[in-house]
Amino acid sequence: MAHTASPPPTAGGLTATEHRLANGLRVVLSEDHQTPVAAVCLWYDVGSRHEVAGRTGLAHLFEHLMFQGSAQVKGNGHFELVQGAGGSLNGTTSFERTNYFETMPAHQLELALWLEADRMGSLLAALDEESMENQRDVVKNERRQRYDNVPYGTAFERLTAMVYPEGHPYHHTPIGSMADLDAASLEDARDFFRTYYAPNNAVLAVVGDIDPQRTLAWVEKYFGSIPSHEGKRPPRDGSLPEVIGEEVKQILHEEVPSRAMMAAYRLPHDGTREADAADLALTVLGGGDSSRLQTRLVRRDRTAVTAGFGMLRLAGAPSMGWLDVKASGDAEIADIERAVDEELARFAEEGPTPAEMERAQALLEREWLDRLATVGGRADELCRYAVLFGDPQLALTAVERVLQVTADEVREVAAARLRPDNRAVLIYEPTQVTAPDTGADVSEGATVSETGAAADTHDQEAAQ
Amino acid sequence: MSDATAQNGMSMEFHPQPRGGEPRPWAFPAPERGELPNGLTVLRCHRPGQKVVAVEVNLVAPLEAEPRDLEGVAGIMARALSEGTDRHSAEEFAAELERCGATLDAHADHPGVRVSLEVPASRLTRALGLLADALRAPAFPEGEVERLVRNRLDEIPHELANPARRAAIALSKELFPADSRLSRPRQGAEETIRNIDAAAVRAFYAEHVRPSTATAVVVGDFTGVDLDKALAETLGDWKGAAAGPRPVPPITADDTGRVVVVDRPGAVQTQLLIGRIGPDRHDRVWPAQVLGTYCLGGTLTSRLDRVLREEKGYTYGVRAFAQVLRSSPEGTGASMLAINGSVATDVTGPALEDLWRVLRTLAEEGLTDAERDTAVQNLVGVAPLRYETAAAVAGTLADQVEQHLPDDYQAKLYARLAETGTVEATAAAVAAFPADRLVTVLVGDASQIADTVRDLGIGEVTVVTDQ
Repeated sequence: MAHTASPPPTAGGLTATEHRLANGLRVVLSEDHQTPVAAVCLWYDVGSRHEVAGRTGLAHLFEHLMFQGSAQVKGNGHFELVQGAGGSLNGTTSFERTNYFETMPAHQLELALWLEADRMGSLLAALDEESMENQRDVVKNERRQRYDNVPYGTAFERLTAMVYPEGHPYHHTPIGSMADLDAASLEDARDFFRTYYAPNNAVLAVVGDIDPQRTLAWVEKYFGSIPSHEGKRPPRDGSLPEVIGEEVKQILHEEVPSRAMMAAYRLPHDGTREADAADLALTVLGGGDSSRLQTRLVRRDRTAVTAGFGMLRLAGAPSMGWLDVKASGDAEIADIERAVDEELARFAEEGPTPAEMERAQALLEREWLDRLATVGGRADELCRYAVLFGDPQLALTAVERVLQVTADEVREVAAARLRPDNRAVLIYEPTQVTAPDTGADVSEGATVSETGAAADTHDQEAAQ
Repeated sequence: MSDATAQNGMSMEFHPQPRGGEPRPWAFPAPERGELPNGLTVLRCHRPGQKVVAVEVNLVAPLEAEPRDLEGVAGIMARALSEGTDRHSAEEFAAELERCGATLDAHADHPGVRVSLEVPASRLTRALGLLADALRAPAFPEGEVERLVRNRLDEIPHELANPARRAAIALSKELFPADSRLSRPRQGAEETIRNIDAAAVRAFYAEHVRPSTATAVVVGDFTGVDLDKALAETLGDWKGAAAGPRPVPPITADDTGRVVVVDRPGAVQTQLLIGRIGPDRHDRVWPAQVLGTYCLGGTLTSRLDRVLREEKGYTYGVRAFAQVLRSSPEGTGASMLAINGSVATDVTGPALEDLWRVLRTLAEEGLTDAERDTAVQNLVGVAPLRYETAAAVAGTLADQVEQHLPDDYQAKLYARLAETGTVEATAAAVAAFPADRLVTVLVGDASQIADTVRDLGIGEVTVVTDQ
């Protein structure tokens, strides 16, 4: 077991140590004894960007299968054992990774490690046609519930396809298409496991009321004998020009409650200072209740009910900034578009005021404090920086980096990226009454989600 | 391990399932209760490590206090609290809050208005000052109130288009008598929202918002914060005449078994909401009802999802739950007991048939001891996880105040859950969800689902359309 451990710089007293098992599993530990709970989080370096044509949605469908038992865990045992021990658990799939996590009462930590190790090492012993068919139906219902049966439900999927071209690994979203979900076979799932699920393609974080020595001994005991392999196929290259080059626009006539303008921009890759600057720019323009767009469209022009920007940070392709404006009453899209263009152009010219910088930095700092407020949130961030950037310690200094960005850098990134020739635009025009036989069109509805959750929350189980 | 061993087919070494260690003690935090000179009740609770402080303020401004022709005024007032004060314009107020890294939300529900502030501890005093301004001297500018009224009107079609929201509106209308405020949308309907202006908001505020009937709950890491001083300089400055307690009207509902289909031609799923009313937390049966409801539909391994999701694949998930509507000190309150979820359109009939079979089997055979034990272990065991953040603790403490419960209610609930047996949990679940006393709302394609639902014998079927 290799240790690269010395508790280095910290944010708010948080520290983390790093370790590596002989089979390549990276382990990050962080102690916090305030509450008797411990979080286990396991990130596998595989997401929807690794999927091939005709098998979109496979990474996420596979994530569901990880909850269907393994060599020593029967059926739904994963859920039963964790919940029976007073824990909570879930798994999610995004473009760049798949994560599995449990938060346990501290004295039940060992159980969570045993469970994660069992499915990492022996899933195929339990995986069968029956689970595959059942979870295929569950996931198709997840797709219907979250996207197809909701007004604007497929907007994010459409914008993604417009920002990342055909054939690009991020062209499709993690939920996948109904046709591909239908086409996935048990053999596809087995092959997916053999290719991507290995200790040397994962990072395990354990955070909370833990004894680091004892925790490491358990990790070694349960995970240490799982064989590594080099079978992983790297994702297709995600690099793209910094800007799209022209405005791409789609106008949809659908049965939605109001007009809407949504847009997506290519932004700098996550992990760069420019990405933090872009985050600040989007926050000044469209984050919170006193952003420029909210003030202009909702308060002054009164053409919109909501107007906001969100950012989907991506490491392996340009990040995406998305704008969501829902029109008020009979307001015209043309007026909304003109106002958005004016505000963005003015911002690219002037940059943020000192008060706006202070506000945006305070809001982003607050987001970080919220994410780090739970042991589960901390474990997830440590995994994120370890998997995507090779260094979990970066999680502990992320706030400082956001606070170091200057107003000039914010203006520069806005001028370079928030331009009409770097965006995909989706316009919704409501249709009135829909005849029953055209109802299928409704199912292609659409949204960049109101909660800003975007692609990142394809939960295995939504709420407990 | 090397690559060679993997290719040779060697597998991992298995170990028996570990047993848990000794649980470390944890208790739901006990708040310290006090009162400011202006009559404001304050509950405070120091939570080391929680750097984002949560403040919840309960205002006794219930929806049933709204004039009938101005329903929605409580919601508009709640939103308008942050639209400018005697010190700041609406735009300045929003910017000032955000410069503190603070979020301020206010919403109106049946028991009253709740104002929730969250802010990093380092900027607590500044944010408390803004919160106090909003409560003490809201400007309710005419232009801003007019905008909020328009926004609310804009929201209504979005609510009606959302299957889950649409189902909730339909169930309330069906369940409660037409003269009850509970039968109508919490945030008001178009015909009453249109009547609301700044004068109406000011009148509602003047009549129902005052420190002597309000409670503030403050939770977080107070290290380095002089909370007494901060409260005295902010919320302590809020003035208002005293007022007696408001009577809480009793709640009645008609749970005759029946079905309402809200027609959505072409919908790919049917949204289900199946409900009635039942006891609130004042009732001795509450812990047993919590256990029984969990066993029925609390999670993916509960009875409903075991069949509907994990066996049949009809749904992404179906849940059973109890949500307190309104409580009174006398125990005349009630909760909504309900089952919700969505199922693929073409299996709506079979899914409902299975759902009712689960309910009937529960009534005939009862819960098993193993189910009860797992439920207790989960519900009691997750408490320290559930209450990790200051906001979670503050929310529960404020709920207790709003529901006229003692401050140690939640702390004692865990002991009561642990003492509840299988027989009691079964009886409570069966009483909560009797197969013949449930009102079913289905938002979906009537042409595809109505006939199959008629054949199920779960009550008379009515189809309604929104157009």
